[in-house]
Amino acid sequence: MRMRARSGLLASYALVVLVLVTLNFFLPRALPGRPIETLSDPRSQTYVGDATTRTALQRYYGLDRPLLEQYGRYMADLSAGDLGTSIRRHAPVARVLGERIGWTLLLVGTAVALGTALGMIAGVRSGWRRGRRSDRRLLALLLAFDNLPSYFLASAFAYVFAVRLGWFPLYGARTPFSESYAPARAIADVAHHLALPAAVLALQLVTFQYLVMRASMVGELGSDHLLLGRAKGMSEHVLKYRYAARNALLPAVTVATLHIPLALTAAIFVETVFAYPGIGRLLFESVGDRDYPLMQGCFLVLSLLVVSANLLADLLYRRLDPRTAA
Amino acid sequence: MLTVGIAIVAGVALVALLAPVLAPYDPRALAGPSLASPSARHLLGTNDAGQDILSQLIWGARSSTIVAGLAASLAVAIGAFVGAAAGLARGAVDVVAMRITDVALALPALPLMILVVALAGPSRTTVILVIALAGWPSIARVVRSQALTVGRRGYVQAARGFGAGPLYLIRRHLLPSVGPLVTANFVYWAATAVVLQAGLAFLGLSDPTEISWGAVLNRALEHQGVYLTSQWTWWVLPPGLAITLAAVGLAFIGYGLEPRSNPRWERT
Repeated sequence: MRMRARSGLLASYALVVLVLVTLNFFLPRALPGRPIETLSDPRSQTYVGDATTRTALQRYYGLDRPLLEQYGRYMADLSAGDLGTSIRRHAPVARVLGERIGWTLLLVGTAVALGTALGMIAGVRSGWRRGRRSDRRLLALLLAFDNLPSYFLASAFAYVFAVRLGWFPLYGARTPFSESYAPARAIADVAHHLALPAAVLALQLVTFQYLVMRASMVGELGSDHLLLGRAKGMSEHVLKYRYAARNALLPAVTVATLHIPLALTAAIFVETVFAYPGIGRLLFESVGDRDYPLMQGCFLVLSLLVVSANLLADLLYRRLDPRTAA
Repeated sequence: MLTVGIAIVAGVALVALLAPVLAPYDPRALAGPSLASPSARHLLGTNDAGQDILSQLIWGARSSTIVAGLAASLAVAIGAFVGAAAGLARGAVDVVAMRITDVALALPALPLMILVVALAGPSRTTVILVIALAGWPSIARVVRSQALTVGRRGYVQAARGFGAGPLYLIRRHLLPSVGPLVTANFVYWAATAVVLQAGLAFLGLSDPTEISWGAVLNRALEHQGVYLTSQWTWWVLPPGLAITLAAVGLAFIGYGLEPRSNPRWERT
């Protein structure tokens, strides 16, 4: 029974991946912009006047073959890890992506850890004092924060903390020419650059985590073991953290995995504002450069990361709550 | 909360409606010196092309209102149709429709939007369409589950027994029961559309001739020196606050409607 449920889950995720990969192939060929067709359209800016060059280019991109054959070749290339060549950077897309993906993973990983921790602490405090003034204030504050668009929050943090106060660098992931730094100094440099983008991204996640933790904590408030603990004269601190918060943790943990897809998407904006050299910034740059192979590569990598994060959340959730596996 | 939200949203809509009257300058025209600081003549200064920023924000309200209204309506229309059809028809239609909905729900919305808009060209119609396409699956799910429960209720079974057709059932029984749900989803997607449209424009994905809050942000942040002087406070902060205000107003309406649209809400 459980095995069957899991294979069904994996099958539906495989379908999603197939749809994504297929969309990645068909969208450029189906949409009205049709980047590769503009090569042979005399009215477009990228029109190639020379007939020999044009045929050579079309043959190079396989555009002279039937659509189904193009699709087959695309799938074969893809499974071999070949994502084509970046027009602007004159390098294989896979290699460009490889150089950038580490920064995105570092940024998203830090933000998810930070956002989860902050949201849990705030949720425990707020839930414990439900309905009091401090709870209502925190709730209103975080709900308001939740509606700040990430690109605006990022720009505001950049202006206040990097420009006005000068505490953090304004952009980039490391100081230029810092390759010669000693390891300890290099790590400090990377952390210094990471602080602002990670903080912005974490703040985008805090409210969701906070609301779940708070609701879960409120659900614990009336329970018998708390009453017994109080009757035994245990301290508020022990009751709050060791008794109530500990039991309230389970739903909050499963929510934490849902942060990863959220953070990956918001990272597109945050990396763009801070010129942080991850996949999100690369997507922005490739859109600006009209570098279609690179754009598609970024789309594919980001999408696959989001889908794998969702699968991870689903698997973990089933593990923790067997009822959902039925 | 509901009243505050309605007041904010009505305010933004009013500015959008009266933009030609309220805006002191043509938002596209050369209205003064380039990069002027705020003054009596230009309350929020001018941008690098000498256009009046306040006028651009006022006209931007119109762009946001149109996109939010149309994108959310379209998302709700598709979602409600698919959900109601699946829930009422059951059987094979239900299975196929929900399979498609689930896959659509699992696709990462923002990267897909960016790809589609970048490929198809950033017209306003494209932006509205991609937001609606991202919105319909979750609405379809909610409406379907409501349609399934309503279909099993005694009074609906009775109506069916008396020979009521599907259209009558939808009008008399399904619509009143999904009404609050659909309203809440409409408000949620209108807020999301405001933030997404501005986000896409911020990434450079907007019609270059359209005046919108996101386009103002994009132009400001592309400008090299925006952080160096206090330009940031009148060129980036106001459009950012405008987007936030519109989104908060809609979110307040959403929170305010929640007790009516979500029966579980009363317990906590």
